[in-house]
Amino acid sequence: MTTVPAAIAKPPRRRSTLNRQRSIAGFLFVLPAVLFTLAMFIFPLLMTAWMSLHDWPLLGQATFLGIQNYVEMARDKQFWASLWFTTQYTLLVTPAIFILAFALALLVNTALRGIGVFRTIYFIPVVIGLGASSLLWVWLLNDRVGIINGLLLDLGLIERPIIWFVDKNLALGVIIVSVVWKTVGFSMILLLAGMQAIPDELYQAAMVDGANYRQRLTHIMMPLLRSTFALALVLSVIGSYLSFDQFYIMTRGGPQNQTITAVYWIFNNSFTYYKMGYGAALSIILLIILGALSILQLRILRDDVTY
Amino acid sequence: MQRLSRLLVVLSMMVTLALAACTAPAAAPTGEQAPGEQASGEQAAGGVTMSFWTRDSNQEQVRKLVDAWNDSHADQIEITVIPGSDYMTKVGASVGAGAPPDLMAVDLIYVPQFAAADQLTDITDFAKALPYFDSLSPSHVRLATYDGKIYGLPFNAEGSFLIYNKGLFEQAGLDPENPPKTWGEIADAAAQISALGDGIYGYYFSGACAGCNAFTFLPYIWASGGDVLNEEGTAATLTDPEVAAALDFYRQMWADGLIPPGAQADTGTDFANAFTTNTIGMAGTGAFLINNLKTNFPDLDFGVTFLPGMEEGASSFAGGDSIAIPAGSKYPEQAFEFIKWMSSDEVQLTYYAQENSLPVRTDLAENEFFAKDPRLTTAAQAMAMGRTPYTVVYNQLFNDANGPWLKMIQTAVFDGKVDEAVTTAQEEFTKILSEQ
Repeated sequence: MTTVPAAIAKPPRRRSTLNRQRSIAGFLFVLPAVLFTLAMFIFPLLMTAWMSLHDWPLLGQATFLGIQNYVEMARDKQFWASLWFTTQYTLLVTPAIFILAFALALLVNTALRGIGVFRTIYFIPVVIGLGASSLLWVWLLNDRVGIINGLLLDLGLIERPIIWFVDKNLALGVIIVSVVWKTVGFSMILLLAGMQAIPDELYQAAMVDGANYRQRLTHIMMPLLRSTFALALVLSVIGSYLSFDQFYIMTRGGPQNQTITAVYWIFNNSFTYYKMGYGAALSIILLIILGALSILQLRILRDDVTY
Repeated sequence: MQRLSRLLVVLSMMVTLALAACTAPAAAPTGEQAPGEQASGEQAAGGVTMSFWTRDSNQEQVRKLVDAWNDSHADQIEITVIPGSDYMTKVGASVGAGAPPDLMAVDLIYVPQFAAADQLTDITDFAKALPYFDSLSPSHVRLATYDGKIYGLPFNAEGSFLIYNKGLFEQAGLDPENPPKTWGEIADAAAQISALGDGIYGYYFSGACAGCNAFTFLPYIWASGGDVLNEEGTAATLTDPEVAAALDFYRQMWADGLIPPGAQADTGTDFANAFTTNTIGMAGTGAFLINNLKTNFPDLDFGVTFLPGMEEGASSFAGGDSIAIPAGSKYPEQAFEFIKWMSSDEVQLTYYAQENSLPVRTDLAENEFFAKDPRLTTAAQAMAMGRTPYTVVYNQLFNDANGPWLKMIQTAVFDGKVDEAVTTAQEEFTKILSEQ
C-alpha cells in the first residue's frame, strides 16, 4: 500500500492503480467470508485451544494447567476405547454407504421418465434431522409397539420381539442401518453429479471400440469419478468420526458403555462432568486426527486423471 | 478512486458492526417469553423487571404463577424457559459472562454445586424469618444449606412413590386397596400379576435410565436403613448390605420374568407408555405422573403407595427445583419478595395444590384440594419424608447414563452379578468423590 512515486511513467502507474483497485475489490468480496470464518471458526478454535490448557469448571474460576489435560488423556482408557469404537463404526458404515450410494446412483443415472421421483425418494431421509430420525428409529425398533419387530413376528422370522439395544453388535447393526438410510441419498447425489459430468463421447468411443458395460464402468467411469469419490469419502469419514446424536439418543452409550463414540465422550466430559478444559483438549486431539485422516484420503485419491 | 475504495472499506465495516449490534439483542433472550411480558414492558409504576430462569419440565404451572405475581405486583418478572438438559450449561455460561439472571429455579441436586462455587446469594436471615420456615420441604432446605448458610428455598416439590394399576390388581386376585408394604409383597404381587400372561408384567423400571433409578430405586435402600453416601456426601457407602439386598430384589424379579424384557433398553422414554397401556402392575414414579395420568388417561384406575423397605418402613426421593438468587442478581431484595410470596399459604394452595402440584411445605400436605384425591396426599407425604443425596458431583455419580450408578444396577440386575456390581461401583464412587 505504498504510494507510487510521481517520477514513474504513466502506463505502469495506471496498471498499478488498477491492480490496487482490483485487490481492494477482491478484499471486499472476501471480507464477509473472512469475518464469518474468523467469528465462527478461528476464534472459537483458538478459544478451545486456550481452554484445553486449563482446568475449566462450568462454575467458578479456571486455573492454568499447561499440557496436563493432554497428559491425562494418555491414561484415559475410555477415550481410547471410544476412539477405537468410532473407528470401527466408521470402517463399517463408510463402505456400506458407499456401495449402496454407488448402486443407487447407477440406477438413477438414466433419463427415464419419472426418474426424479426415485431420486427424491432416496434423498428425502437426508433432509430429516439426525436427532429426529434417531428417535424415529427408536420407536420403529421398540419391542412392544415397533413396526420392525411387528413385521418380523408376522413373517414368522422371530418368535419374540428383539430388544435391539441390549446387545452391542445388534445395537451397532441397527444404528448403521438407520444411518445408511439417513445419509445414503447424499452420497448418491454427489456420485450422480460426478457421473453426469463425464462426457457421453467417452462412452460412445469405448462402445465403438467394443467395450462392454463392465469395462466402461471400471475403465471410464470409476477413474473419472476419483475426485468425486474423494469428496464423498472425506465427508462421510468426517461425519462418521463426529457421530454423536444417533448414539446419544438410541443407545445412550450402552449396553455397558460399549457404544460411546469420541464426540460422546467429549460431550460427557464437558456437559456431564463439567470438565470443560478436558473436553476442549479432547476436541483438539480429535480435530488433529480428523485433519490428518482427511489429508491422507485426499492424497490417496488425488485426481491425476484428465480427459 | 483510492479514497472511494477506502471509504467503501470503512462503510462495509460500519455496516457489519451495525448489523452485529442489531442482531445481538435479538439473539440474547433465548427461550420463550411469558405471555404476561407485554405488561412488564411498560415498567409498571416504579417497579423493576427481574429476569427469572426456569427449566421446561413444569413451565405451564410456572407461567401461571408468574402471571399471577405480575398482575398483583409493581415489580415484574420476565421468565425464560430453558430445556432441562441445557440448563446447567446455560446458567454456567451466563455466570461466566457475568450476566446471571436475577432469580433462578434449579434442580435441587445442583444447589450444593452452585453454593460450593460461590455463585449464590446467602439468604439465611431472610429465610429463617419466614414463619413457616420449619415446614419447608426438609430435603430442599438441606441441599440448599452449605457451610451452615442457606442459599435457596424450595420452588417445586416432587416425591417418588410406588404406582400400581388397580384393575390388574383385581384381575390377579389382589386387594387394590391394600398395596404391598415390603419387598416380598411387591415380588409376590408382581408374580401374581405376571401370571395373567398376555404381555402383562408385574413390575417395571427403566433399565437404561440413570436418573430414573436414583429417583425410584434409592428409596428402597433408604427405607431399609441403608444409604449410598455418608451424611456429608463425602464417601461412598455402597457396601451397606441393604444396597446388595435391594439389587438382589430387582435381580430376582428380572430373573423370574416379572419385568418386561424391553425394560432393559428403556432410557426413560418408554415408561409412561408401558404403564398407560394397562400391561404393568407396579412401578416407581413421581407426582408428575399423577397429573399427567389424570389429564390424559382419565379411565386408568391407579393407586399410589410408599416405596417400602425390605421388611418394614418406607422412603422417598425428594426432588424438584429450588429457587435461588444468583450472586450477580441486580434485584436480590425484590427477588426474595417473590420467593416469600410463592411459598405463602394462599399461593401454595391456589397455584400448586389446585393445579395437582405438590406444595413445597409439609404443613400443607393435607389440604382441601388433595382431600378430593388422596393419591396426591400420599405423594405429598412421600415428599415430606423424602431424602436426597447431598453431593457436588450428583451428575457424575447418579445422572450419568454412562456412570457408575446405572452400571451397577445393570450389572447386578441383568447380568446377575450383584457382588461384582457393588464392588466396582463402590470403587468408582470413591474415585469420583476423591477427585473433589
